[in-house]
Amino acid sequence: MQTKPNPGFFKRNAPIAGEAEAIERAKNGDPDAFAKLYALHKRRVYTLCLRMLGNVSEAEDMTQEAFLHLFRKLGSFRGESAFSTWLHRLTVNLVLMHLRKKGLQLVSLEETINPSEEDAPKRDFGSRDTMLSGSVDRVTLERAVALLPPGYRMVFVLHDVEGFEHNEIATMLECSTGNSKSQLHKARLKLRELLRESQALQPADSVSEAAR
Amino acid sequence: MKDLATANLDNMTTAEFEEYLPELFESGGGSISKDPRFANFFKSHPDCAALVSDLEIIAEQAKSLFDPGGGESGGGSEPSDAVWSNIASKLKQEPPTTKEN
Repeated sequence: MQTKPNPGFFKRNAPIAGEAEAIERAKNGDPDAFAKLYALHKRRVYTLCLRMLGNVSEAEDMTQEAFLHLFRKLGSFRGESAFSTWLHRLTVNLVLMHLRKKGLQLVSLEETINPSEEDAPKRDFGSRDTMLSGSVDRVTLERAVALLPPGYRMVFVLHDVEGFEHNEIATMLECSTGNSKSQLHKARLKLRELLRESQALQPADSVSEAAR
Repeated sequence: MKDLATANLDNMTTAEFEEYLPELFESGGGSISKDPRFANFFKSHPDCAALVSDLEIIAEQAKSLFDPGGGESGGGSEPSDAVWSNIASKLKQEPPTTKEN
């Protein structure tokens, strides 16, 4: 079965100059070419690990594992998807395997249906005067994402940041597609809450500056 | 989650609208606020309009997080040099990769 391409996903995975040549050379055992692939992708792979794990030391360990795994599996890359898509999927699967070994339940069904009061988004739409001020800068959003409960953060990062589709996320997290959609919605609601709290703490000038 | 096909779009309550939202975002391609089917509803429910606008801003801005620093020479966080040292050292012990067809 062929999955429907997500246009936003491919836009975020545009080919990088010199990448295709480096892949071919690395497949033939050229260590400089593999170093080039590392240089091209280390930030994205590390950031993905950091967002999923929320811990610098573990993120570095998993970045190392991801590139070692890449070295072993590179021969099987056939270019059917963008290289970064393939590498990120490989990385996500390694991180999830790592988390399963640690015994962490990735997407708790109970949390989805009946989240704890502390973690769940409040059932409050807010009023117009407290809506987000037109734009959110990426640093503020990054901080808010780091504050999300792990189940929400995982689905938000995989869907809204990495561009995976719900059916892919459901397979990765071993949950239903509906559960993935529900977790994503709750993650966005929780982020809205966190961002509004963060804006409320800022002086009025800096909020209007961010909106410009 | 409720099925939008059964919804009365002009006479929904706020609570009903919220139940449709996850599916709406999935099917609406992230632009519910511009969907003419909801124009009347948003006029009479400005809080729902504000919520949708905020969630669209969050989903849109999330895309910018994909690239942490604009490539090789950009800013953003990166792993320490020790990570590559460890990888390089382990690769020396690995047999060469084989190309699969």
